[in-house]
Amino acid sequence: MVQLKVSDSQQKFAVKLNDESCSKCAICYSACPFEAIKKEPETGKLLLEIEKCQVCAICYSSCPAKAIDITYYDMNSLTRYLENAKDEYKCDSVVITCKGSLPDLEDVEKLFGVSEFIPLSVPCVGRIPVEVLLKAISTMGIKAIHILACDDGYCRFERGSLIARLRVTAVNALLEQLGYGKEVIRFKQRSLKVKADRNKCISCGNCVFYCPYSAARLEHGAATFDLELCRGCGLCVTLCPALALDLEHWEEDRISTLISKLSREKTRPNILVMRCQWAVFPELGEEFDSNVHIIDMPCAARVDPLHIMEAFRQSIDGVLIVACHEEDCRSKKGSKEARRLTTVLKKTLSQIGFEERLHFCSVSPRHPESFHEELRRFKERIESTCSQEVR
Amino acid sequence: MIVTAQKPLDEILDFLSPYNSILIAGCDGCTQPPRGLREARTLAQLIELGGKLRGKDFNFKVMTTPKQCDSYLTLASLQPQMKDMEAVLSLACGLGVQTIAQVLPDVPVFPAQNTLFIGAEIREDSTLEERCAACGDCLLALTGGICPIARCAKSLLNGPCGGSQHGKCEIDPEKDCAWDLIIKRLEKLDRLSALDEIRPPRNFGEVMRPGRVSG
Repeated sequence: MVQLKVSDSQQKFAVKLNDESCSKCAICYSACPFEAIKKEPETGKLLLEIEKCQVCAICYSSCPAKAIDITYYDMNSLTRYLENAKDEYKCDSVVITCKGSLPDLEDVEKLFGVSEFIPLSVPCVGRIPVEVLLKAISTMGIKAIHILACDDGYCRFERGSLIARLRVTAVNALLEQLGYGKEVIRFKQRSLKVKADRNKCISCGNCVFYCPYSAARLEHGAATFDLELCRGCGLCVTLCPALALDLEHWEEDRISTLISKLSREKTRPNILVMRCQWAVFPELGEEFDSNVHIIDMPCAARVDPLHIMEAFRQSIDGVLIVACHEEDCRSKKGSKEARRLTTVLKKTLSQIGFEERLHFCSVSPRHPESFHEELRRFKERIESTCSQEVR
Repeated sequence: MIVTAQKPLDEILDFLSPYNSILIAGCDGCTQPPRGLREARTLAQLIELGGKLRGKDFNFKVMTTPKQCDSYLTLASLQPQMKDMEAVLSLACGLGVQTIAQVLPDVPVFPAQNTLFIGAEIREDSTLEERCAACGDCLLALTGGICPIARCAKSLLNGPCGGSQHGKCEIDPEKDCAWDLIIKRLEKLDRLSALDEIRPPRNFGEVMRPGRVSG
């Protein structure tokens, strides 16, 4: 049967500009880091070029007329989440973090000195509208908000961290004037980078050749990194033949431990999804069937063939790698290299008949359904592979 | 660099099947693609999975050696690991395998790789290309730094032959004609006349096989 391609007009998009409520102030046009919003010179009408859009929602959080609709983390769902979470966590501190600088919550206490808090993890803190912060403080009884952004030069959405920082300064000034006290919102920045063990380096030069940011060089016979340039994609780690490199928060051991834990799930088929955190924006409180395990990666380039082998060895039935489209890749060539590495690994796996158990797909948050569709298809495929084996 | 390709898994499983405890030894030396710790671990997992499908469980220890063709270094790094190990699977080139056979006379050693050639890594294309035939009588001074022995399908000294088509070799249109490259490069360097000189025949006796020099 010939499958008809769903035309763009029928697809659901993650961002929409509404002409009726637009005041043509063009703040979105100036704020968009990707030049995805065009201004018609004669009418001043603003148009979204969805294929350029990276769904950072900086336009949404900047729009004074509320003329932009988004699918992920809109104002209503953010406030609803905070309201529900306040009852659940029974505390009055919120920690809002960008996935890029805090993939899990382990470091929160060290960073902000709080042990009880409502976590809110989003792809870029620049997407949080000021209204949500004000509402949390003024009407929800939240006493303190801690925000962790990536360093400015590390922001995957170019200006997200910077915009969030400027907003926090303004909101803090306002809250102080209103009598809520000083620095109600605390703002910190950091970024997660490569760690190199010079003693293990064999001077092969892979990191020097592959680093998309020219952060690596060989110095006195060992790999040395300019951490100012490193953007933490993890490609060098995945390609290091001597296992001399690691990536903060996505350490080899850490991912291995996670895979071992996940593989203990008894429901079959057991599916591991290693997805780029910029390719899929999860819903708040996202949940899956008990046999589907998600590991969010800094880039598909950090999906390590060694980890995939480990997963299969520990009875994971299928591994789905979810990357951004090559043209959207936040680490320049991460998606492309991840695809190449998958092809090589599939060839290796074909020797034990496992090649169909590994699948690589590219999706984008601008098409909210694409990830779930890929996952559904992969699940079906693995279910049928496993049921054939049982017979 | 010594270019190798992994042997088919079935072949490896065949020769490992009589043993249970196997030391897998990578090589951090010049093998390309690098056959260090990452490759050794990946192979161990692949063999384990392949073994399970055959109903065979292995017990692996995985390590890497700095330069497996060095007998002193190899013995020093392998010996402490050999307790309870019945065999060694080497990821190095043929030299590494033979060095292990030499330094561990009582232990069977098996190659995980086929050793292909001395090649250069062309990173931009992710390929490895044969560039030196280790012929023992280097002609590169005469041929503009491009070796016709390794890179011409016929190892001609008076090419290009009639099979050179648009700079490619008739045996494989993907491969450059070495003599086409040589002529163009010498022309560019204004050294083409170097080929006009009549020379005595090449000294094929320079390396008597098996080769040996004192170091």
